[in-house]
Amino acid sequence: MRKFRSNWSQGDRERYHERRDYYQEKAHTTHSSRVRWTREEVVTPLLPKHAATSSLMATSVDFKTYVDQACRAAEEFVNIYYETMDKRRRALTRLYLDKATLIWNGNVVSGLDALNNFFDTLPSSEFQVNMLDCQPVHEQATQSQTTVLVVTSGTVKFDGNKQHYFNQNFLLTAQSTPNNTVWKIASDCFRFQDWASS
Amino acid sequence: TSLPSGHTMGHSDQAVQRRARCWDMYQRRFSSVSQPVNLGMHSSSHQQQDGDAAMQGAHVESPVRYTPYAISPSHRRGSFLKQDQTHVNMEREQKPPERRVEVNRPHETLGSWFKITIPFGIKYSEKWLLNLIQNKCSVFFIPVEFHYEKMNATFFVENASIASALKNVSGKIWDEDNEKISIFVCPDGIPDSVQREPKSEKVEQVKLAVNQQQALDIQKLPVYSDFMTCDTKMVRNPRKGMAASLHVHEENIPKVMSSGEMDKWKGIEPGEKCMDRSPVCTTFLDNSSNINSILELFPKLLCLDGQQSPGPTLCGLEAHKRLPTCKGSFFGSEMLKNLVLQFLQQYYLIYDSGDRQGLLGAYHDEACFSLSISFNPGDSALSILFKYFKDNRNIKMLQDPYLRGQLLKHTKCDIVDFLSALPKTQHDLSSILVDMWYQTKWMLCFSVNGVFKEVEGQSQGSVLAFTRTFIATPGSNSSLCIVNDELFLRGASHQRTQSALFTLVPTPFSSFMPAFSQEQQQMVPS
Repeated sequence: MRKFRSNWSQGDRERYHERRDYYQEKAHTTHSSRVRWTREEVVTPLLPKHAATSSLMATSVDFKTYVDQACRAAEEFVNIYYETMDKRRRALTRLYLDKATLIWNGNVVSGLDALNNFFDTLPSSEFQVNMLDCQPVHEQATQSQTTVLVVTSGTVKFDGNKQHYFNQNFLLTAQSTPNNTVWKIASDCFRFQDWASS
Repeated sequence: TSLPSGHTMGHSDQAVQRRARCWDMYQRRFSSVSQPVNLGMHSSSHQQQDGDAAMQGAHVESPVRYTPYAISPSHRRGSFLKQDQTHVNMEREQKPPERRVEVNRPHETLGSWFKITIPFGIKYSEKWLLNLIQNKCSVFFIPVEFHYEKMNATFFVENASIASALKNVSGKIWDEDNEKISIFVCPDGIPDSVQREPKSEKVEQVKLAVNQQQALDIQKLPVYSDFMTCDTKMVRNPRKGMAASLHVHEENIPKVMSSGEMDKWKGIEPGEKCMDRSPVCTTFLDNSSNINSILELFPKLLCLDGQQSPGPTLCGLEAHKRLPTCKGSFFGSEMLKNLVLQFLQQYYLIYDSGDRQGLLGAYHDEACFSLSISFNPGDSALSILFKYFKDNRNIKMLQDPYLRGQLLKHTKCDIVDFLSALPKTQHDLSSILVDMWYQTKWMLCFSVNGVFKEVEGQSQGSVLAFTRTFIATPGSNSSLCIVNDELFLRGASHQRTQSALFTLVPTPFSSFMPAFSQEQQQMVPS
């Protein structure tokens, strides 16, 4: 019947095995140059705890730490996201929160089911990311839920279509486990920039 | 507790789709004895004096299975389909182009039709919304031609008692943000798929395909080509027919608050057969003149670039994956749209004024800002980007954590100092595209795409394109307070530069601005 359903159940099975393998492997994994085999979670180490000497110092140290954390999360994320999008599309929605939304060239896609459907019908892709910028989102906006703004730009070729320049933004939110921080997409905004190609 | 999003409708959904597929197959089987598609008369009455008109007519004897992506967009074919689209648009007067055909019904009408509209339904996925309504509705209904019109979701039902039952659901369902969902019902005409003769089912499908082709072609154009002053001179495009059709297209897109649109909501026509005589149609659109004026300032935001692509299974194109057609700006709601537009208007007024210190009032004390740039081959005047190069924060290229930290501006004073050092600009607000992509009670995230001109310095007159992402919290005076600001710059292509509109729009700014705080008033240059 519906193509993605049968894939999804297989994906469930796959995910179980991968997750099991992943947790066995993670003890040895750092964000360093170690070669990683395929992963479908964006993970960074937990923030080290700082002993604040003065309130002023604490503020600047904390901010710098958040900036570093944001950069680390953004880099890790971008590597995994676009590779998954290109090579393992079925697994892409694992990077999204259940209630995540995507605005794709003005089309709104809301919730995991809709996202699965959307990515299933999107033609296969080849992404090339040329620019990556990120910022830690201020806690006043997020009610202290650690969040990172990720901004990317580059080119993409969807099968059957010409190449486009694109801009994309993400909000990544952190979910800390005892051993590390897992980042998931809360929101995703994607746009072609058509004028760049003639 | 609200339903999980994306919950399927179960049997009824599948039954509808299965029926649609069967109907498709039936049509294909019995109409594929290639009767020429009945577009001949359309094209002949609307031939552009292109010289290619005769040839173009001959092209359209295609079988039902139309695969726009398999066809290389040759000029001739593109022009012809453009013309047909022109005709379609004019024929439909104020209606937007055909959207997805959910169910292909036989042409005989079985009852009276009602149009069901969910305001701001564009926020919800079709499945989720229909499921929610069905769960609350006392009778089973089959939605026909479900589609989104501007901010609304809409579909047809065939029966007055069903329409009445749906009306009763209004205000009794909530979305996941606990906002009430309203349902409006109008005894308004017959869905287009039902209206047609069965033999023009092919016309229907080719028209759908035509719409797809048009959407494809639109994507080839610069996104911000200026519809308002579009003429063949300004749009340097070999397909002359396209400029004309775009012009028509723009005229036929109704403005959100036009009187024509509001008339639809004004009540039952006299003499219309309807079981329920109570005023089911109420005007829900706000009549505020402020909103109208704001929307005039941002005409681009009213244009939806195309329509939703029909689901592949329903148009006999199962095998094909397709890109959804690109649409215009997206706002979560009317209220938020006004909020964001007002904010942008004020922000860029100060930004372009020559003194950016006034922006201090717009930023949070601990706001962040960063700038990034990208060089694309084919950009004209790349040299104007060089001055931004030293502040370019591209962490893909930049590994040094110290520099990564330095290039992120922190605190509003640092940010405004940095912005003040950038060249004086003139932004073209009439051409912006806005995506509001995340909102909670405490924050609003939106991205603005547009162009601006540098109006001083060595690169005076150069045009750059930008994407600016703001994250803002509710501020004082019902304005926004920026906590994160990311500015991405790129060159504008030659074509875009030519068609950018840079005349200052004479608008009564003062009528939109909410009262500035004391501090802000001192900051704004007189």
